[in-house]
Amino acid sequence: MRAMVIDDSRAMRLILKRIAGQLGFEVSEAANGREAIDQLAAMDTPPELALVDWNMPEMNGLEFVIAVRADPKYKQMTLMMVTTEGEQGQIVRALAAGAHEYVIKPFTPDAIVEKLALLGLVPNGAAA
Amino acid sequence: MTLTAQEFAFISGLVRRDAAIVLETGKEYLVEARLLPLARQSGLPTVSEFVIKAQQRPEPETYRKIVDALTTNETSWFRDGEPFAALTHTVLPDLIPNRSNNRSLRIWSAACSSGQEPYTISMVLHEAMPAGWSYEILATDISTEMLGRAESGMFSQLEINRGLPATMLVRHFERNGANWRVAPSLQKPITFKRLNLAQPLPPMAQFDVVFLRNVLIYFDVETKRAVLQRVINLLKPDGWMFLGAAETTIGVDDRFERVSTGRSSAYRLKAGSSSAPVRAQEKG
Amino acid sequence: MNVHPGPTEEDLQTIAEQVWASYLDPDGSSPLILLPPEKPSREVSASVSMTGAWRGHVVIWTSATASRHAAAALLGVELEDVTVEDVTDGLGELANIIGGNVKSLVIGPTALSLPHVLISGESGYPQVVEVCKLAGIWRDEPITISVLQSAERAGRAG
Repeated sequence: MRAMVIDDSRAMRLILKRIAGQLGFEVSEAANGREAIDQLAAMDTPPELALVDWNMPEMNGLEFVIAVRADPKYKQMTLMMVTTEGEQGQIVRALAAGAHEYVIKPFTPDAIVEKLALLGLVPNGAAA
Repeated sequence: MTLTAQEFAFISGLVRRDAAIVLETGKEYLVEARLLPLARQSGLPTVSEFVIKAQQRPEPETYRKIVDALTTNETSWFRDGEPFAALTHTVLPDLIPNRSNNRSLRIWSAACSSGQEPYTISMVLHEAMPAGWSYEILATDISTEMLGRAESGMFSQLEINRGLPATMLVRHFERNGANWRVAPSLQKPITFKRLNLAQPLPPMAQFDVVFLRNVLIYFDVETKRAVLQRVINLLKPDGWMFLGAAETTIGVDDRFERVSTGRSSAYRLKAGSSSAPVRAQEKG
Repeated sequence: MNVHPGPTEEDLQTIAEQVWASYLDPDGSSPLILLPPEKPSREVSASVSMTGAWRGHVVIWTSATASRHAAAALLGVELEDVTVEDVTDGLGELANIIGGNVKSLVIGPTALSLPHVLISGESGYPQVVEVCKLAGIWRDEPITISVLQSAERAGRAG
């Protein structure tokens, strides 16, 4: 399975890449929504999972989620937002825009793993 | 460092059994640091002495405190995921046709800890029960401290990040400063009460579903049997019981049958056992 | 001067606890000890600014040594391999996370800037009021987290 980590922070990309990598995902990176969209367009098949930050230059995470959900090509992608935006209204906005899950920073690796398990994206027994 | 290798192994075994946390060698300092307050509370000067005493005089409450001290923030909401799916897809469809008289269900969360389990049950029932039906949940634990936390309905951001679907979060919680508070509508059907399962229980009306997850493992076989007998007395003949993912009644009490429910299992009293009804129709 | 109620020291404690538990002290062996350090350090600073309904900054001040430990922990590299870029990225993300959580506690709508990290010399923030502060010791090094609000004249629209 493949995952894309989309965050303008290199540190956060490394953290998420580690977690997803340990679960067996092949991980690609993008520094903002625009880069991610461009990368997706160049792929034959999209990754199963995208971990998406909210606040990024060029195209933010919410805009990315809206764009992806509007395109039937990316129907099979699971979109999980991983962000500091923790107000209730923001979470509602993200879910309404089509995000499948939402993790508020700071998070422990277990938090990501358990949410992925709930989405059926963790092979049995692989959870930390 | 006072902990011996054997004492450390004992503690790791304990923590691994319940919380599935692995404490590799090298983490002895962690055990020392986290158990020191407990040792002091017991009036013992070192962690080593505390652990020796815990081994010599096994007390479930002490074991619970040890596991809690080493697994802070480890409790997840839809813990193991499956039992709550089983509640919705197997248990409710089984019970609801037989409860149309009073249109209500009684659930017992028998080791409710900091509250994630009873609130998760409340969320599931809130969403899955038919209109016009009600439910009540009794949430009990041996620890007054845990009950206090559970009753407050307040959880940290780290806690609500753990295995709680975001849609459930926004539907059933509200931000409260840096924390999150469960909605009053979810709390209302829950009563919190201190109970020690290893002691005789006060008389109570029987339950439709009992959650007895990850608590039997702390007891020896005799106490396990006694606890299960107390639960049987309080379980309606066609009621259901959930144990922890790694637990079973096999070898302990053969009046239960295990029913596979998707990826996990649930228990009910065997048809024909003296405490069970004669079933008119068994579901396929 | 009209200073809106902002986050409290207790809020900062909660946020710091969670950040440490998630990234800097996952196994409990190197906690943030909330005692004011004897010698606070401003060798390294990482901050985010907020604009909108609430204006101000959230600043982390710490020693070069602590900043390298933080970078090592966050980026998953060995201490001796930590580069200047690692410190900038790592500490910047810490400021982003702590600042983002503070943002959820102040009046909105408010936007968070990209983090600014200064590795040498002292950073100054003119015309601010310190709303709350957390002073502590981590790995024997001083670390301070401050919430600074821009001093504004009463009546000015947000």
